[in-house]
Amino acid sequence: MTEKPHTVKSYEEQLQHLSNDLVIMGGNCELAFSNAIKAICKNDHALADDVINNDTVIDNFETQIEQEVVNLIALRQPMAIDLRETVTALKMSSDLERVGDLAKNIAKRTKLIKKKLPNELTESIERVGLLVQKQLKSVLDSYTNRSPDIAQDVWEKDEQVDDLTNNCMEEVIKYLKSDSENIEYGSHLLFVTKNIERIGDHLTNVAEQVYFLVNGTYLEGDRPKGSQSIVTGEK
Amino acid sequence: MNKIEAKNVNVFYGEKQALFDINMDIQEKQVTALIGPSGCGKSTFLRCLNRMNDVIDICKVEGEIKINDYNINQKATDVVRLREKIGMVFQKPNPFPKTLYENISYGPEIHGMAQSKDELDQIVEDSLKKAALWNEVKDRLNEPGTGLSGGQQQRLCIARAISVKPEVILMDEPCSALDPIATAQIEELIDELKKEHTIVIVTHSMSQAARVSQQTGFFHLGKLIEVGSTDMIFKNPNQQQTQDYITGRFG
Ligand SMILES: Nc1ncnc2c1ncn2[C@@H]1O[C@H](COP(=O)(O)OP(=O)(O)OP(=O)(O)O)[C@@H](O)[C@H]1O
Ligand SMILES: [Mg+2]
Repeated sequence: MTEKPHTVKSYEEQLQHLSNDLVIMGGNCELAFSNAIKAICKNDHALADDVINNDTVIDNFETQIEQEVVNLIALRQPMAIDLRETVTALKMSSDLERVGDLAKNIAKRTKLIKKKLPNELTESIERVGLLVQKQLKSVLDSYTNRSPDIAQDVWEKDEQVDDLTNNCMEEVIKYLKSDSENIEYGSHLLFVTKNIERIGDHLTNVAEQVYFLVNGTYLEGDRPKGSQSIVTGEK
Repeated sequence: MNKIEAKNVNVFYGEKQALFDINMDIQEKQVTALIGPSGCGKSTFLRCLNRMNDVIDICKVEGEIKINDYNINQKATDVVRLREKIGMVFQKPNPFPKTLYENISYGPEIHGMAQSKDELDQIVEDSLKKAALWNEVKDRLNEPGTGLSGGQQQRLCIARAISVKPEVILMDEPCSALDPIATAQIEELIDELKKEHTIVIVTHSMSQAARVSQQTGFFHLGKLIEVGSTDMIFKNPNQQQTQDYITGRFG
């Protein structure tokens, strides 16, 4: 449904502002995450610093959005689609803030790694990283276009993220086993990989929120899961 | 269970049709809210439910209104008894030009509901307490009802309506002249009353409809556009027109 504008213009503007803030916040998360992946793969400490320093921008957006949502609820008592817009914004911003944190954590660990990593390893990080970047872009698109189909697609593709995370974990374990000198860096890389996978999970949350926002119903059923053995410790 | 069933109800004021083919079920011991823009026919529909439209000369009602499965639109209906069972609180408070006490005691008296003066006193006190007015008027029960403020008069009318213990209470914007505290008291009263009564309330406050009712019907230009659980209507209505109205996009 494309909605007519509200009779009260300032209400319309407030809702529009909220939605715009969320889109910009999402854009910042995209940048943070792609830079974090680039930094770890290229061992680029300056870029990692960028990611770390810019995280406050994302944090501030979360606070800002929370205030806007509280104002809307207190002063406008939103109903139906407006209520879903408002509540969804609050939930999405908290998932996106976590995405920012996890990207920052990848950057922090990057700075603790002081040498170039083997190609097979960086390639497998890059592979899952790229997929998650695509997921992030798609889920933000699903929000801007209010498209439950794109959201559902993201939700279903998380299975692939799990699979690639697994491959990546295997590479890290190979790296750990190959030389006991690798234990320190290797353990950081385990966390980096896990962080990427968790970002993927936050994106499926966002996908669920967008789906609910548009349809007013919940995405049904269990999300398809990829091979989980290493990531979750399940067989 | 359905307390009231409206079937193919059409209402005309002279040549002008005010309601078109309304079909609506009203559940027993629940609160049903009627919402919609001014002039859409909410009050007209409410008045169908106790034949109050009879008193408007040019008004003609077609179709069936069944209460407890009995069609009240048939000739044989005893309208006085009907209105005892189906009480009403109007959009504008309309106290009798009598004392506060008499405003309340009148109904129970003529219906022979009290055996003694003490019992009648008790009914008056209970009704005023339920309508959240007792504390303000208990020392001036012999003053005229018309001497109260607008909000107090409205609560007096609510007390009067409940004094005869009706099965159904129709309320037409009962809180439009009330301050937030009195409004909260009336909403609390509605919650209380629905344990024993069926309530139909017309309100222009979306949040009030959402708070007090279990079912909501949305009227527009004399048609019932959508009716369903209040939860559904305010979270995710089926009709675009309903959503436009409740979210303030009507123009
Ligand atoms: N006594 C009457 N004589 C002629 N027309 C009437 C009469 N009462 C109502 N109408 C017309 O019937 C239509 C429905 O009126 P009604 O009072 O039922 O609307 P409403 O939904 O209660 O509006 P509001 O929210 O303003 O109280 C309106 O077009 C109104 O002009
Ligand atoms: Mg009216």
